[in-house]
Amino acid sequence: MAALSSIHCRSYSYSPFLFSSSSSSINGQQFQRINFSSSGISKRFLPAKLFSQSRKNSYHGVVLMQDVAMPVNPVENEASFKKVKDGLLSSITSAEELKETAGFDVNKDESTVIITVVGASGDLAKKKIFPALFALYYEDCLPKHFTVFGYARSKMTDAELRNMVSKTLTCRIDKRENCGEKMDQFLKRCFYDSGQYDSEENFTQLDKKLKEHEGGRLSNRLFYLSIPPNIFIDAVRCASMSASSANGWTRVIVEKPFGRDSESSAALTKALKQYLEEDQIFRIDHYLGKELVENLSVLRFSNLIFEPLWSRQYIRNVQLIFSEDFGTEGRGGYFDHYGIIRDIMQNHLLQILALFAMETPVSLDAEDIRNEKVKVLRSMRPIRLEDVVIGQYKSHIKGGITYPAYTDDKTVPKDSLTPTFAAAALFIDNARWDGVPFLMKAGKALHSKRAEIRVQFRHVPGNLYNRNFGTDLDRATNELVIRVQPDEAIYLKINNKVPGLGMRLDCSNLNLHYAARYSKEIPDAYERLLLDAIEGERRLFIRSDELDAAWSLFTPVLKELEEKKIIPEYYPYGSRGPVGAHYLAARYNVKWGDLGAEQ
Amino acid sequence: MATRLTTPCSSSSTNFSPSSSFNNEAKLFTRFISMPRKYGLSTWVSHIHSKTHARKHFLLNSSNEHPLNAFSLQDGLAGNPLAKERIEPPGKERPSIPMSEAEKEESTLSITVVGASGDLANKKIFPALFALFYEDCLPENFTVFGFARTKLTDEELRNMISKTLTCRIDKRENCDDKMDQFLKRCFYQAGQYNSEESFLELDKKLKEKEAGKLSNRLFYLSIPPNIFVDVVRCASHRASSANGWTRVIVEKPFGRDSESSGELTRCLKQYLTEDQIFRIDHYLGKELVENLSVLRFSNLVFEPLWSRNYIRNVQLIFSEDFGTEGRGGYFDNYGIIRDIMQNHLLQILALFAMETPVSLEAEDIRNEKVKVLRSMKPLKLEDVIVGQYKGHGKGGKSYPAYTDDPTVPKDSLTPTFAAAALFINNARWDGIPFLMKAGKALHVKRAEIRVQFRHVPGNLYKRNFGTDLDKATNELVLRVQPDEAIYLKINNKVPGLGMRLDRSDLNLLYRARYPKEIPDAYERLLLDAIEGERRLFIRSDELDAAWALFTPLLRELEEKKIFPELYPYGSRGPVGAHYLAAKHNVRWGDLSGEIYE
Repeated sequence: MAALSSIHCRSYSYSPFLFSSSSSSINGQQFQRINFSSSGISKRFLPAKLFSQSRKNSYHGVVLMQDVAMPVNPVENEASFKKVKDGLLSSITSAEELKETAGFDVNKDESTVIITVVGASGDLAKKKIFPALFALYYEDCLPKHFTVFGYARSKMTDAELRNMVSKTLTCRIDKRENCGEKMDQFLKRCFYDSGQYDSEENFTQLDKKLKEHEGGRLSNRLFYLSIPPNIFIDAVRCASMSASSANGWTRVIVEKPFGRDSESSAALTKALKQYLEEDQIFRIDHYLGKELVENLSVLRFSNLIFEPLWSRQYIRNVQLIFSEDFGTEGRGGYFDHYGIIRDIMQNHLLQILALFAMETPVSLDAEDIRNEKVKVLRSMRPIRLEDVVIGQYKSHIKGGITYPAYTDDKTVPKDSLTPTFAAAALFIDNARWDGVPFLMKAGKALHSKRAEIRVQFRHVPGNLYNRNFGTDLDRATNELVIRVQPDEAIYLKINNKVPGLGMRLDCSNLNLHYAARYSKEIPDAYERLLLDAIEGERRLFIRSDELDAAWSLFTPVLKELEEKKIIPEYYPYGSRGPVGAHYLAARYNVKWGDLGAEQ
Repeated sequence: MATRLTTPCSSSSTNFSPSSSFNNEAKLFTRFISMPRKYGLSTWVSHIHSKTHARKHFLLNSSNEHPLNAFSLQDGLAGNPLAKERIEPPGKERPSIPMSEAEKEESTLSITVVGASGDLANKKIFPALFALFYEDCLPENFTVFGFARTKLTDEELRNMISKTLTCRIDKRENCDDKMDQFLKRCFYQAGQYNSEESFLELDKKLKEKEAGKLSNRLFYLSIPPNIFVDVVRCASHRASSANGWTRVIVEKPFGRDSESSGELTRCLKQYLTEDQIFRIDHYLGKELVENLSVLRFSNLVFEPLWSRNYIRNVQLIFSEDFGTEGRGGYFDNYGIIRDIMQNHLLQILALFAMETPVSLEAEDIRNEKVKVLRSMKPLKLEDVIVGQYKGHGKGGKSYPAYTDDPTVPKDSLTPTFAAAALFINNARWDGIPFLMKAGKALHVKRAEIRVQFRHVPGNLYKRNFGTDLDKATNELVLRVQPDEAIYLKINNKVPGLGMRLDRSDLNLLYRARYPKEIPDAYERLLLDAIEGERRLFIRSDELDAAWALFTPLLRELEEKKIFPELYPYGSRGPVGAHYLAAKHNVRWGDLSGEIYE
């Protein structure tokens, strides 16, 4: 099973079944045979099937972009799968596994993947996308025939692009000696094409170039739109009309912002759907690609000890905290138009909240998880103005250094009321979470850089040791902290006895510090998400209905903030944020876990 | 209540007992009213007392500092004025300190180590007393007396003791000073263990030191079990405190089976009331055993899991990495089951499994523990495996077999290893195997509690776990020794692009978090005995219940001359333990391949 040897790259829907990899080759052969003989699907069709991870609707996207000449028979195909599954009930896991791997084996040599980075000269492309692609290549996670295309308006040669890209590539993972070689090999696969984002002609030109590289093989195309939102639609239109794959899949990764509110987001979705199927749209939220966010579901669902606690019966409140220790630093133009609520809360924090709070999904398949997430979002009340505190940083002098105010940023209007800090209390009106406050806090120019989830448990009813805790029992409750960044860690605060002759209680941590346990560097979120997109794993991407639900929670309050011109509470650059956040927490009988004295 | 928080020495129940001030008043009251009753009739007083005791005992719920027996041994004259004196300051009563301030200066404490020349005394008792002194945990007027048959002068005793004292806690500069001060408080009295005269002599010496002040006396019996009763008789008749309390600390073995233990208890009770008997189980004084209740009852996250709904099995593991090493005479008569399982491990089991007590007071906790023991089935022979270590040559070194020990009969069948499965037939634990394992001459020195949780029902990630879902369950480990630690094994994702699951630990390594050395179990227990805190001592009914579980098995083992499975010195013990575990669908947590610790 050569294909399985590079198992570390696969996202899990492909190879969750690591344990059986060694034992299933016979099944695999069988399956392959059954698959081909009974359904008669062409080999060319297989990749699409494979990438769609057995979701029916995923065909449509592919089909739409396909040539009509393609021999597609999804119904029969589905039926045959069913047959096969029924026939192999006992070894269904290995069968499913081999479905994937067998496909890979057979088609690996014949299919190609071309990743086109639209907006190749931009910052995100240089800092995140190209390095992530190189890291995937370096780890042998990319298919054999892959090509990277840069596309942007600037005129550039392939060599210039390579030169530009090479500056940001590092061999971070583990310094193997062949890094330089690998880098050269990677750069040889990078090409550039310049053109306008709204010109179908330019995209036709691109298509020609792509076809050259595909050399008649099965063509799969991934477009990464690293461009401003106002040209999303144009680029999508051109790409889909003129540069879609003729016989494989075409997918488009879109970065935030996905609109400014319900209306604009819906308009964007509607426009995208003119040219793309839901399954082709990969709305990226790079926070969902963070290691510990990925681990959140594992923690919940693979440990017996957490799931019983995961409800209003035991959890008092949940805190989702994001802070940056720098401001807009001269690049506030985009930010000022959106503000921290749209930039961080409505997407990253809300997504984490949904993952945290969702019911157990039927399976780990993308649609099952996303269905559960949507249910959470739809069970939530829209946020009320009184449940939100906003702030904006002001300048601050410390140690002789002057830190600028937000409005000192030249790209920001002097009278901007855009919040650079916000805290909000959210509620999920379902049986599991009724009455439990979910507090969010996000801010720029704060004293630390941090992203974490804190789960504060209720106090012990009838605590035998309550004399040891002073008057506020809630101060000594258990707390589970999942630190997403920096220094990934999970720890559970527990009460224990201070060693010694007396009986003094102390709050200690049961710790799992990732750096200590896992010496290997944790991959960047973009690597994971790019790989998922290539493999058609949609679990970490945001579906249209999720996006709608998320906007409908935040749109009323955003509108009200803007209409009423609510003035943000000012806080000094580098401080702990406006004190209003404490009062908001106090209203719901919560204490921010990250600002306790002990921290 | 500043004093509560600052006193590092006070034991737990004094620290919190919500009703302690009430208790004290109640105690003073009973003390006062009971005085006239035994006026001048000191001979039958103890008798009456032991009869009335039970009733009063429950009336008071838990009589903490001044047990009723304290005045059973008082002489009538001293009683009355004292009682008045003690009633005056109830407003000033400090619940956290056994005696009020005024009293403290006037009361004395004499600790008499009977068997002072023995090993335990030298290695544990005197050092623990010094450590308590060093930490200012002993009352102002305290005296330590050594009592043994050997003729020794005070000087010789001091010299002997001083060799084992260390200033381990934290090297303050005044350690030598403190040591000198401590040694000046140590005295010696030679005498026979069964001679009332010798004890009368001791009493005289004690009285000298007490100089008419309120006298509290603690006897630590560090002597072989066959002379327990003699010493207790002599001490209670001739050397009891006249006006304070008298307590006796007894070490295991408490008999060999239900009958002998019952007999011992009966004999002790001829001379002592229940409240005077402090049966020590030093495992209960270990830091993490103490912490067990704190973990359970002060953390919301554990209690909901603490039942058959979530816990699959519990393992209590004790191993030593050395054998009897030429000192197997005592051990051979008892064997590992009596030496470790029936007391240490069973006590930990009871603490682990008990229902939430009404309060943290000794009687409440011991009531719950007894309930656990009484809910258990006596052990069946088929749920036990026994082993004995055999000689083993490794790396050119040869390790002796148990029967190579010159103090052990060549044909001894005494188990040096045993594993057993126990069950608690109550609503909380029905069907959950509690596995015990104890052995000498194994590959590691270790004492730990492992709690294996059930597998996740309908686990979404089950495909990542291979065929045996139970291999990847959560596990809570309390490592009692060495390197005290608490860790919780959880499943998490291996960082990286795939979805591989891994078991990691949520860790609390005591050494890392608490650099200060953890006090020895004996310090805690001695202090508790001084303070009258009985929580960690074993009550007679507990002891009976414990023996009732093990006696039928022990008898059967001996009657049938069950041959122990031999295992090499320094090995992981007989494989029979695995088969026993397998029978109950358990896997020993300490011997699985993945465990690196």
